[in-house]
Amino acid sequence: MSRAATPRRVLVLRCPDWLDWLGDAAARGFEPVVGIVEEFCPQVEVLRPGACAIATRGPARYFGGEAALAANLADAVSRGGFTCQVGIADGLFAAELAARAGPIGLLVPPGETPEFLARIPVSVLDIPDLCELLPKLGIETLGQLAALPTAEAASRFGPPGVLACRLARGLDPRPLIPRPPAADISVQMEFDPPAEQSEPVIFAAKALADQMHDRLAAGGFACVRVQVQVRCADGQESSRLWRHDGLLSALAVAERVRWQLDGWRGGRDCAIGRDRVAGPEMVAERGADSPGITLLRLVPDQLVRATGRQLALWGDSVISDRVARAAIRVQAMLGHDSVTRPLLAGGRRPAEQALLVPFGDAGVPERPADRPWPGQIPAPAPTTVYRVPLPANVTDGAGKTVSVSGRAKLSAPPAWLSTAGRPARAVTSWAGPWPVTERWWDPSHARRQARFQLVTDDGNAWLAALQDGRWLIEASYD
Amino acid sequence: MRHRDDVLTGEGVLPVLPALRGLLPAGGLQRGSVVTSGDWGLLALALAAGAMADGAWCAIAGVPSLGVRAAAEVGLDPDRLLLIPAPGPSWPQVVASLLDGFDVVLLRPPDQPSAQLRRKLEAAARRYGSVLVVAGDWPGAQARLLMADAEWTGIGPGHGRLRARLAQVVASGRGGSERPRSAWLWLPGPDGTVTAAAGAGTHGGYLIDSAQLVNIG
Repeated sequence: MSRAATPRRVLVLRCPDWLDWLGDAAARGFEPVVGIVEEFCPQVEVLRPGACAIATRGPARYFGGEAALAANLADAVSRGGFTCQVGIADGLFAAELAARAGPIGLLVPPGETPEFLARIPVSVLDIPDLCELLPKLGIETLGQLAALPTAEAASRFGPPGVLACRLARGLDPRPLIPRPPAADISVQMEFDPPAEQSEPVIFAAKALADQMHDRLAAGGFACVRVQVQVRCADGQESSRLWRHDGLLSALAVAERVRWQLDGWRGGRDCAIGRDRVAGPEMVAERGADSPGITLLRLVPDQLVRATGRQLALWGDSVISDRVARAAIRVQAMLGHDSVTRPLLAGGRRPAEQALLVPFGDAGVPERPADRPWPGQIPAPAPTTVYRVPLPANVTDGAGKTVSVSGRAKLSAPPAWLSTAGRPARAVTSWAGPWPVTERWWDPSHARRQARFQLVTDDGNAWLAALQDGRWLIEASYD
Repeated sequence: MRHRDDVLTGEGVLPVLPALRGLLPAGGLQRGSVVTSGDWGLLALALAAGAMADGAWCAIAGVPSLGVRAAAEVGLDPDRLLLIPAPGPSWPQVVASLLDGFDVVLLRPPDQPSAQLRRKLEAAARRYGSVLVVAGDWPGAQARLLMADAEWTGIGPGHGRLRARLAQVVASGRGGSERPRSAWLWLPGPDGTVTAAAGAGTHGGYLIDSAQLVNIG
């Protein structure tokens, strides 16, 4: 041993809010936090959405000590509207644990990292087999694990055991890998004369994607998404983000370029698609005519360290390739938000009982479906649920609008139902009123309704509600 | 040309709910065929339910206000369901792309397609071995289902609630060559599922009171 390596001091900033929701939205939402951290130190490694790390040496000197750096950074991030914890220790592993150690994190002074780690249970190691095995052998804390001779750990537990031992001693298996600006890895090709047909552009896209993957691999990165920018001779641009996760081949990237071009050029007459395109996910402007393409650029977005781990492409459920391809094709034609996955959610109104999540995004209903939700209409559920209730009018035999008193008493039995644009139909049977008072504690979402089920003489059944003196059709049983 | 290896069961026929089996010529949804279900409603959803229970994927195009819970109750697994609420003016292109990936595509056409467009989509369904279920008019469909008669039960003037609907579904084949078949179904039953209404209709008495219904659920 020629020299004892001075352990690298690492600061980890962790936003506890990010733990329970993962996926694209989380990654996008974390970018502003990374932006704030980058103002302190341009070399930031994003560990995952919700956590990033910097080396403290430079910035700590600038701010006059690690404590001052941590305080300033936490202050800046909280001013940005995010809660955060900051931990500083020797090495990334210990710094991350330090960030989790208290409500605002912990500063472990230089050299005290082994003592800090010694008390922590081995379950924090992200090595599933070992985490189960070690406590059975009586090794319950990292301190006990660190005390094992490395050779013994290697022979008993193999490479994971050596890694665990190193971590327990505060030795990092790798240095920090700050991400370079994405622009440095982007690749582009200009077409002169402009390409009239899609084919040469798609062909070039494959070569460009190869080049981009090489550059990413050289830095040890993968990108979560890839942005495809296409420019026409008349200056119009189409720019769209495609999910990548380090899993797409060059051919698959070229295929997405083809879909984007198809959607852009072929969908000119597609007015609905155009409206939907203007989401945060993509910006695309279509013109009346596409004169030929002058520029194709691929920009990797959200660089992450390439761990070689295969992430589930579309959330948890396994989606077969052909389904994903068809869905992505349609998204290329109509826009990201136009292909949705339904999720059952909880609520008393039928419109609240489903959530539509764009295909490829992860979504968790705010109100889970598996709660009792007293007051919801029992099965069978309506087949058609209007996202915006239809205005309607329900009148009694004398032609007066039916009203309900504060004590849920009807003014008269409903006799006629008329909805906008339809002739009035006679009500043959009806049930209600079922009064519902929801969220009275929250003025912006409070609602008082009296609900009815109505059957009209054409055999249709409706779920109607009387709210603020007005009748609404919420759903129908088709 | 068929590239379905993961969900194919039987000889190119997707299963349907037992209650609908007798109404369809092949006892199920013939891959590569077009089936109509009359106006948009539970019957269209029910047609896809059997195949989805068997692991098929389903896309629903052109239905902006789908009751997702009703779909789940009738047997459409939301995890394998994709919605394209507004396919826009280029909907035939969208539907053709969907037929490539999904086993069953439920479509409510935004406008009446021309004969040429219909033939193109029929060819796409044949090529990819998928089933197109159309809520609307589609001359040339291999099977046509229609809800001919329906009555809600469990609700009266000012009492009860909607519990079940007894419906007569009439099926006819292409060009009316086949004798129309019909069946009485609970569409839906008290728990939202679709089942055969045993005994009802044969003697014309389909008005079953709610007390009797409770036993069925």
